[in-house]
Amino acid sequence: MGVVLRNLQNVVPLRRARLRKDVETLRHILGIQKFDLGVICVDNRKIQRINNIYRKKNMPTDVLSFPFYEELRPGKLPCPLYRDELNLGDIFLGVEYVMKQCQQQSQDLHGILTSVTAHGICHLLGYRHETEEEWKEMLQKESYILNEFNRFTGRQLVPLTKKCSQDG
Amino acid sequence: MLKSLSRAVSTAVRISTSTMFSARALQPLTRSTLCSSNSGAIRPFSRSLWMMSHNGAASVYRPKLFSSKGFTPVSCGCGSLHTEGDKAFGNFLSDEIKEEKKIQKSNTLPKMSGGWELQQNGTEAKLIRTISGEKVTVTFNVNNSIPPKFEEEAEQAQGQKSAENEPDIVSSPNFVVEVTKQAAKHSLVESSLASCFIACFLPHFAIHGEGEEESDIFAIREVSFQPEGDVEWKETAYTLNTDSLDWALYDHLMDFLADRGVDNTFADELIELSTAMEHHEYIKFLEDLSGFVKCN
Repeated sequence: MGVVLRNLQNVVPLRRARLRKDVETLRHILGIQKFDLGVICVDNRKIQRINNIYRKKNMPTDVLSFPFYEELRPGKLPCPLYRDELNLGDIFLGVEYVMKQCQQQSQDLHGILTSVTAHGICHLLGYRHETEEEWKEMLQKESYILNEFNRFTGRQLVPLTKKCSQDG
Repeated sequence: MLKSLSRAVSTAVRISTSTMFSARALQPLTRSTLCSSNSGAIRPFSRSLWMMSHNGAASVYRPKLFSSKGFTPVSCGCGSLHTEGDKAFGNFLSDEIKEEKKIQKSNTLPKMSGGWELQQNGTEAKLIRTISGEKVTVTFNVNNSIPPKFEEEAEQAQGQKSAENEPDIVSSPNFVVEVTKQAAKHSLVESSLASCFIACFLPHFAIHGEGEEESDIFAIREVSFQPEGDVEWKETAYTLNTDSLDWALYDHLMDFLADRGVDNTFADELIELSTAMEHHEYIKFLEDLSGFVKCN
């Protein structure tokens, strides 16, 4: 069981091995190594199309999550009976959108991509940020994940939930 | 070999009948059906033509072709056979060539970005680049490079007689990336293992239509080390197949290629180049066929 990583765009030069390593670290922190996870990197055109189809928002965004389990209680890991249900779902990373934000804020692309992925994984695990209470719960979870990540890696990533509320 | 074929059938991507590394020149599939193993190119029907024209005992057999309706040999004194069918065929080819030239995007091939030098030998092409002493060569062949799905859709569109529905034909060839490091005094790599061959394909075009599968623009299929230079392919060299490969290793290989200019941008441009090349070769073939069929 593992991370299926796909790069469908040619706008942003991506270091696949680095992204995979960071995602594996996140999975280790969350204890979700036995679950499959899809991470698909796309450009603005593609993420805008997906955003429009599934959320009726005709604009690019940084991340879209498609959980395998749609009714999970936040933070409660699923207990599937069958092997082919060991899947959390897919995360689409709007790497072009993220790249533009990084350029404006002089930030490291791959660091931000990891924070965005952590945010996306939280959504796959049932976290939401539609109400104040949900937002606080999700921010707490993301902060925990990234603090642990920073402790392992020596990096200084910050939660995405603090910054935006446009993704789903 | 069989595993590769079954994979090709299931994914609707044409590959050669041997492994991806079918000799360095990427021998096309059709050559095996046209070439005898003992001689050069021999047309399969040449023997029957000889039998038809021979006046000895072997010509007792009169094939139906001579007595079939519609066959009217045209005498023009050039010594070759010309029939009404040939004339119609020639006229058809003239029209076809005109139409193909109309839709041809350009007379020149599109340029690749990144400083790649193109060398072409018929249907085979090499893109060559040198980066900090490393030579990178990408070899591909436009033969059998059109995914079957496009051909089916084109036939369906013709059946419906609706030119607007006919999809653009795209050539998405398999390609092999050869990376050769210059021998260095302190190099740990044996000179006999100086070239790394990475066989790639374009899965995106194996499946066409709305809701296309989320696949990488290009993917690695096999990796092998081979002796440098134009020497015999070493069958005993280990070939890594990515079907059951550790995904982290796979991503490192993809990053390795990206650092040498073989990335998604390269793959997109390769498709453009291959499509233009294939169209050129197709038109040239039609012109050769037209010349062959008509009276010279």
